[in-house]
Amino acid sequence: MASPAGAHDLPEAIRPPNLIQGGEDFSSITNTVARVAEYKPPRGWYIAFGVSVSILGMLLVMLGYLFWEGIGIWGNNQPVAWGWPIVNFVFWVGIGHAGTLISAVLFLFRQQWRTSINRFAEAMTIFAVMCAGLFPAIHVGRPWLAYWLFPIPNQMSMWPNFRSPLLWDVFAVSTYATVSALFWFMGMIPDLATLRDRATKKLPRLLYGIFALGWTGSNRAWHRYERAYLLLAALATPLVLSVHSVVSFDFAVAQLPGWHTTIFPPYFVAGAIFSGFAMVITLMVPARQFFGLKNLVTMRHLENMCKVIMATSMMVGYAYAAEFFIAWYSGNQYEGFVFVNRALGNYAWAYWTMVTCNVILPQIFWFKKMRTNLVVMFIIAAFVNVGMWFERFVITVTSSSRDFLPSSWHYFTPTLFDALVFLGSFGLFFTFFLLFCRFLPTVAMAEVKLVLPEAHPGHRHHGEEGE
Amino acid sequence: MTPQASRLLAHDNLHDAGLSRRFGNRFLLIGLAALAVGLGLGIADGDELRHFFHAYLVGYAFVLSVALGGMFFVLIQHLTNAHWSVTVRRLAEFTIVSLPWVGVLGLPLLYPLFTDAGLEEHGGLLWPWIQPLGEDAALVTKKVGWLNPGFFAVRMLGYFAVWGFMGTYFVRKSLQQDLTDSYEPTLKAKKWSALGMIVFALSLTAAAFDLLMSLDPAWFSTIFGVYFFSGSLIAIFSWLILTALFMQRTGRLQHAITVDHYHDLGKFLFAFVFFWGYIAFSQYMLIWYANIPEETLWFAHRQTEAWMPVSWLLVVGHFIIPFAALLSRHTKRRVMVLGFWAAYMLVMHWVDLYWLVMPALDSQALHFGLCDVATSVGIVGLYVAGLCRIAGDRPLIPVNDPLLAECLAFKNV
Amino acid sequence: MTADARLYGVLAEFDNVDDLVDAAKQVREAGYTRFDAHTPFPVHGLDDAMGVRPTILPWIVLAAGLVGLSSGFLMQWWMNDVDYSYAISGKPMFGLPGAVPVAYELTILLASFGAFVGMLALNNLPKWFHPLFRVERFSRATSDRFYLVIEGRDPNFGPRTSDWLGGLGCTALEAVPMPDEPEGLPRPLKGLAWVMTSLALLPVAMIANARFSESSTPQIHLVGNMDFQEKYKAQQTSQLFADGRAMRPDSAGTVARGELDISSPQVTGRNADGSYVAGFPVAVDAGLMARGRERFDIYCATCHGLNGKGDSVVSRRALALQEQGKAAWTPPTDLTSQVVLDQPPGQIFETITLGKNNMPSYAQQLRPRDRWAIALYMEALQSAQAAPSEDE
Repeated sequence: MASPAGAHDLPEAIRPPNLIQGGEDFSSITNTVARVAEYKPPRGWYIAFGVSVSILGMLLVMLGYLFWEGIGIWGNNQPVAWGWPIVNFVFWVGIGHAGTLISAVLFLFRQQWRTSINRFAEAMTIFAVMCAGLFPAIHVGRPWLAYWLFPIPNQMSMWPNFRSPLLWDVFAVSTYATVSALFWFMGMIPDLATLRDRATKKLPRLLYGIFALGWTGSNRAWHRYERAYLLLAALATPLVLSVHSVVSFDFAVAQLPGWHTTIFPPYFVAGAIFSGFAMVITLMVPARQFFGLKNLVTMRHLENMCKVIMATSMMVGYAYAAEFFIAWYSGNQYEGFVFVNRALGNYAWAYWTMVTCNVILPQIFWFKKMRTNLVVMFIIAAFVNVGMWFERFVITVTSSSRDFLPSSWHYFTPTLFDALVFLGSFGLFFTFFLLFCRFLPTVAMAEVKLVLPEAHPGHRHHGEEGE
Repeated sequence: MTPQASRLLAHDNLHDAGLSRRFGNRFLLIGLAALAVGLGLGIADGDELRHFFHAYLVGYAFVLSVALGGMFFVLIQHLTNAHWSVTVRRLAEFTIVSLPWVGVLGLPLLYPLFTDAGLEEHGGLLWPWIQPLGEDAALVTKKVGWLNPGFFAVRMLGYFAVWGFMGTYFVRKSLQQDLTDSYEPTLKAKKWSALGMIVFALSLTAAAFDLLMSLDPAWFSTIFGVYFFSGSLIAIFSWLILTALFMQRTGRLQHAITVDHYHDLGKFLFAFVFFWGYIAFSQYMLIWYANIPEETLWFAHRQTEAWMPVSWLLVVGHFIIPFAALLSRHTKRRVMVLGFWAAYMLVMHWVDLYWLVMPALDSQALHFGLCDVATSVGIVGLYVAGLCRIAGDRPLIPVNDPLLAECLAFKNV
Repeated sequence: MTADARLYGVLAEFDNVDDLVDAAKQVREAGYTRFDAHTPFPVHGLDDAMGVRPTILPWIVLAAGLVGLSSGFLMQWWMNDVDYSYAISGKPMFGLPGAVPVAYELTILLASFGAFVGMLALNNLPKWFHPLFRVERFSRATSDRFYLVIEGRDPNFGPRTSDWLGGLGCTALEAVPMPDEPEGLPRPLKGLAWVMTSLALLPVAMIANARFSESSTPQIHLVGNMDFQEKYKAQQTSQLFADGRAMRPDSAGTVARGELDISSPQVTGRNADGSYVAGFPVAVDAGLMARGRERFDIYCATCHGLNGKGDSVVSRRALALQEQGKAAWTPPTDLTSQVVLDQPPGQIFETITLGKNNMPSYAQQLRPRDRWAIALYMEALQSAQAAPSEDE
């Protein structure tokens, strides 16, 4: 948005920010971003990629072992029938929420600081959803029949049970993966055209050319493109709300105390955004360093993300408090027990890890000094990632390990396989992510150019008037 | 104000003192008359004013939701540094500066807390936990530490102390900004808005639990605070659209508020219609699916022969119809059409509150009548009268706001 | 018709958006219709300058969304209520709240496809070739330069169009020839596409073949330990049991489901002609009598009293309450009265089975043999009560 004259004398706290720094112009933005994809990456990239691929290989081995041996190698057992696979699933889906939130919700709210980070976050979303999708598929009884979850006509003449929230999950997560991928790809079309037009070698030109779909930057095309982008954003926003809400239904439609509570849908959504932003910071802080994107992803961007983290941390804290209060207020002894047990029982360590990481530590972002300190935000974001994993662990495990029947109470212990598969999912995530950083436009060039004042007709006239 | 802005707003009647003089007393009379009619009909009901006080709570919750919605609006604009909303922010500030007056309007609700009327038969005139009765007695007795008249009254006092202070503080800062060229007041307001938001969220939740949820003391729902919050947002955005329209129709703010501002208000109204639907569905779905008797009873009381049509009215009239109507860009950019939907949503919001409160009076029958309408009109009238008086002859927009120029230049793309 | 067939159009390059927008406005005002601007990002204000009409895309998205919504509901209703309905966890076959999430997701999915595919289709994409790709400078259209092109087939296009356009503030001007033949996909790529398509069809063909052909070779067992589980099946031998059989015989007294005879006098208390059974259709011995006494003391004595005369503690308390006007009470029947004495055992049995007046059915608590046992014990009670007291 072009700033009218006079806006520049405003105090820093309320001044519309200068989102792009270092005197970048249209061509320098193109150069900065395209260079990442055109030149050989720094050595650090190769090391990171090598490590990621090795971990991914380990994951594949583990999956082979799972197919061979059967699902008994998971730590899940009665009464904790939902152990790490579901915890990891919810963890990854949650991380996947930041991307669409940044690209869609912030787009609708005209938060222009999103433009520098949305591509990055969308990519993260897609890879995170891939990791998420892996877990439900490999923890069903016969993983090779996981496609039974979809309503495909078959010789058994059977249809899936649409009254089960687990099936809603299938639809929600697969819709989310598809729409996020569409959104991501559509946003990338103009930038792929840029890479195509800059490519000097034949193969990159051919490949970028295929995926740029023949984009010429025609204004008549831009008109429809922008409308489509707006519509997709408007569709993706309720989708973001619904996906983690549906995930929360998995728990909340049950009658188990600690799972069944009406605040779950918005609480899960807030938690998802929380964890997603933490992951964006975790990845963005090193990436902008390595790939020289500091002028495009400025401290202002990172600071805003810290603020979002703090806000969503508070929402999550609100939900913790509401649950505790209602557990007492309900007068229901089972509800009451579950929450006392969480805080004081044999999973208290997990509960307090969660509270510390999710509610207490992010409070440090009240201080501007901390919000603008790269080291601090990186560490806090890492803690939030840990805390949000533990949140899902606490919900899943504490409630079911102490169910209505004391004789079936049991302390859940994961197996080595649980841990290795979880680790392996990071290999999957980072492998794809590093490939994305290497070969695709990591910043939405066209959109970032739009943030520059000279992208708007009349800029020059304004300037003259102000002088 | 920059020279351009003053030129643009020269004929906007920003300092129109007529507001309180001309409308204050009129609304006061309407309010008192309507409330008297409501009270008269309530006495005529011969039920020790049970119906009247339920109706009073509906109207009161309505006014409160507008004021608290306004509080959220003001806080979030400061928090996010929004520039589109500067010229409508003062209209929202008017709704919250009178929060102490809303507190005064709440004083009649102390009567049901401390009277013996209705105690034997219903456990209380309005809130039936004063003397736990019937099958739920054992359960409700467990909550007596929270639900007892004394603590309840103290809490209400506490809410209004906090809200009154916050409302006064943020509006005072905004008014101070009108008079000075330093940006200190706005920066102060911005600085405290984050903490204000936390206090706001907690107090609104607790107030919703107390005023509305405890009407069925055995029932509980963790999302209830958010539900009330979503309704408040619908209320405030409808309210802002209507007051802006009113101002413009009476020759004020002609240039300060443009169709682009209406478009944004309309977008938010649409978004919160959806948000309300989402929250309402989440609450209903989870309780419907788990089918635990102690939770379903609350909905069962709203799905009786008498109340089912009202429940459907909410699904269709509070969600589906306005969702479809506000979907289009044209609805949001045609000011009078948007005004119609804003008025419609205020009515629907009232129906929503009626649906929350009234089954506690009688879940088997709908006692809808003039008493309900008159009482609500009375409270709203008194609220607006107080608002006009307190808002008085303050400028209708924050004339010196640092972001005013941006707001005036705002275009909705 | 002045359109130039050999010319795609003339291309003007601008280095800032203001000049571009001004030029676009003039081109439009000059009456050209077939012209376009090419920019690295969407330039706001250009649509108005060029007179671009609002796209119909929102309607496409709305229609696709509605299709998604209705097909979502229809699919769930048809699959779970019509074609393959089974009750689960007390939920209705098709309940609206439970059907919302899937229908909602499908709405968004289809609407998003509508937005994406609709945008591509309206923009005539994907396209492999465009005449402007032949222009070297045009590669900056996706980076930092702005272009305006008036096509040769515009009805107003004339020999002076080029000069006129050049006078609108551009930094460069170039005529773009119409390529003789449009450039197609590279040959290897085409070949690859063919191969991939054919390969993709293979599994489909194989499945279709398997679906409609018969085979005499046994199934391939991919997962042996699920197809061949370590378990006993009927008719196999087992070392576990003395008789060496894996299949165990039924326990004594087992009645197969649906084969219970509920019309015999033992179970109904009545003979085939409807009259009450006069004797006892079970073996009468001291054991039965003891059993009857035990059951009677548990189930009957609470009301009828241990002696069967109906003056139990319960009854006495209830009568006392009735006198105070706090309860209404019908005293239990005196089992030693003449009315009861006249009843054959079958009728007593039936009363226990079905209940009578205030007395509920005891069929759930007492198995048939126990009911006969109680009827037997009652006879003992009756004769005990009928015996003259020693004092008399």
